[in-house]
Amino acid sequence: MAEVYLNHLTKRFGKNVVAVNDLNLQVHDREFLVLLGPSGCGKTTTMRMIAGLEEVTEGTIFLGDREITDLPPRKRNVSMVFQNYAVWPHMTVYDNIAYPLRLKKMSKQEIDKIVKDVAEMTSIGELLDRYPTQLSGGQQQRVAVTRAIAVYPEVFLMDEPLSNLDAKLRVAMRTELKAIHAKTEATTIFVTHDQSEAMSVADRIVIMREGEIEQMGTPEEVYDNSANMFVADFIGTPPTNFFDGEIRRANGTLHVVNPRFDMALSPENAALLQAYGKRDLVIGVRPENILLVDEADALLSTDVLVVEPQGSHQVISFEFANKIVKIVAPTHPPVSAGDRIHIDFNQRSLHFFDPQTTQAIDRPESG
Amino acid sequence: MTSKSINKAARKTIFYLFVTTLLVGILLPVYFLVTLSFLSTREAYQFPLPMTPALKTDLKLGYGERGYLLSVWERSEDDYATVLDTNDLDKMRVYIQSILGTKITDEELAEQIARLESSGEEEVFFTQPRNLLYNYETFFRVTRDAVPALMRSIQIALITIVISLVIGGMAGYAFARYLFRGRDALKFSVLFVRMFPGVAIAIPMVLILANMGLYDQPMGLALIYSVGSIGLTVWITASIFLGIPVSMEEAAQVFGATKLQSFVRITLPLAFPGLAAAAMYAFLGAWNETVAAIILTQFNPTFSVVVYQTLLGATGQVNLAAAGGIAMAVPAVFFTFFIRKYINQMWGGMRV
Ligand SMILES: Nc1ncnc2c1ncn2[C@@H]1O[C@H](COP(=O)(O)OP(=O)(O)OP(=O)(O)O)[C@@H](O)[C@H]1O
Ligand SMILES: [Mg+2]
Repeated sequence: MAEVYLNHLTKRFGKNVVAVNDLNLQVHDREFLVLLGPSGCGKTTTMRMIAGLEEVTEGTIFLGDREITDLPPRKRNVSMVFQNYAVWPHMTVYDNIAYPLRLKKMSKQEIDKIVKDVAEMTSIGELLDRYPTQLSGGQQQRVAVTRAIAVYPEVFLMDEPLSNLDAKLRVAMRTELKAIHAKTEATTIFVTHDQSEAMSVADRIVIMREGEIEQMGTPEEVYDNSANMFVADFIGTPPTNFFDGEIRRANGTLHVVNPRFDMALSPENAALLQAYGKRDLVIGVRPENILLVDEADALLSTDVLVVEPQGSHQVISFEFANKIVKIVAPTHPPVSAGDRIHIDFNQRSLHFFDPQTTQAIDRPESG
Repeated sequence: MTSKSINKAARKTIFYLFVTTLLVGILLPVYFLVTLSFLSTREAYQFPLPMTPALKTDLKLGYGERGYLLSVWERSEDDYATVLDTNDLDKMRVYIQSILGTKITDEELAEQIARLESSGEEEVFFTQPRNLLYNYETFFRVTRDAVPALMRSIQIALITIVISLVIGGMAGYAFARYLFRGRDALKFSVLFVRMFPGVAIAIPMVLILANMGLYDQPMGLALIYSVGSIGLTVWITASIFLGIPVSMEEAAQVFGATKLQSFVRITLPLAFPGLAAAAMYAFLGAWNETVAAIILTQFNPTFSVVVYQTLLGATGQVNLAAAGGIAMAVPAVFFTFFIRKYINQMWGGMRV
């Protein structure tokens, strides 16, 4: 059993810096969990506390039913891929992988077999005799991963392992990491600040901000049911568009009214907002849920500011209330800057937020 | 050619001129010193100074007023020069051996004399091989205790390396890895001791060492030299350790190493080239130091002290002085090259 439990985990540096604040998290066995958040939100610190490289200020860490809060790193049976790889430059690739096994007092034959097996799995079999300085960045990264899986850890920690690779290799490697995870089935905690990387590899994403968890859930949950404006903004490229508005009742239906549009809510959305006591709200609309329509059906009409063709789709920008709104639209019909477009919202995928708390309106607590 | 490429060529020329001048400036004195140490006393005082020592000596024997007349071939004059007129064969042999730095035995000399007498000629010519190491032999013969002093110097240098690397290295590691109050002030202050001339420190040290029973002991001098070199060692090792990412050690700890293991097995080997450089400085400092050694030794001088004393006593024999200087330099040069070679061979040629 390799579940990880973080209970009220807090880390303070000195008196003033709170890097991680009262974090509660359960990582399931064999899960690929991604810690996602902007720079400085405490992802690395959380991971280092699990690895035992950072002292815990408050709270406890359990691995299964074993408390590891104060154990030295070597007694935790976790392994880690460092952001700078931290492969040992004075050892060959073979020794880099074998050294942790030697520390476990395994026999020479056992070690040799494991090294060859895992090197096969990550396709670095040809590189075993080389020194790290004779490898490319991507190859060094593979060595770091191989070393980490060779010890058959209960928990596999990866701190932005792909951030030093070029864009193409990054995408290829994340597929491979996912495949390796499928083979090893080790519980994995993966840190990144790249949301598309997180979406593509995660079983579950934990979104952090300033040392606290904003939301956790599957990629679909955090995308479709963002718990608050921060998550809605952070997840997805381009990010969610926000429109201020107020609720009005007219002709027996609920409307959201804005100086530039007046939207009659669909019955489902109306039911959702029925219980919302306040007047002001924010509508969050993902770029693909803003639809180009005929003038007759339009919620509002506007002039195109910029068009960014992306091959498979195009990103159309326009200005609304001093903010840039982005639409992801099919390449057909073609649109160019200065054109007049008519848009509507896809009412089935709207998000509503309370502008005061920035929390989503009437969403069940996620978890 | 455009003016740009001319400009470039000119700059290149100036660069090479500069480098050449620098090399000549460094290498020429060394070259002269080495040559001088192999020259015979007679050669050493010729003008111009020979660029290389002769490998053989052409001699001429004839009859003189007081007995036999010895002449020697002079390269610079392109002629024989008469150097001795004596019938004392011992004196002649010694002259040939010491002043001309040439190999000859009593029998060989007697043989040439016999040849002169029996031939009935005015003079006979003969050639003897040079003894190139004559100056070195003389140096070690006349220098009292040269070999024990050499041993002592090596011993002192090694102890100095160990002390300054262990203490300086630990301090350097602490400076590199731990934040603590007053770190920068402390780091600066370790250089403080180097601001004083060695003599100034040596005098109070005589008293301290005498109290500790270490006066005139290799250990005592090694301690003094360590004090001097630790400052530098701390700085060198601190920058070495700073250059080794902490994550190297952390990775080892995550993968099952204790803190000590991760230091010994990861950090230390990675720091090795830097530590070797620090060792080199410590060695050179201890090896070449004379002033404190003169003050702090009495019956157990170091090599530098005996070389110094011999040089003072060897006035009028620059070639002997040169041999002493070279004898002093050889171990240092050897040690330096040995370490460099060792560093460069490690780990597929990586540089740390
Ligand atoms: N050793 C330290 N001393 C003081 N403050 C620290 C230390 N390490 C981290 N912090 C602070 O703790 C906070 C969280 O840092 P952390 O490295 O965990 O962020 P992160 O989420 O990994 O960011 P990034 O995406 O940039 O790697 C930051 O504000 C950082 O400045
Ligand atoms: Mg980080």
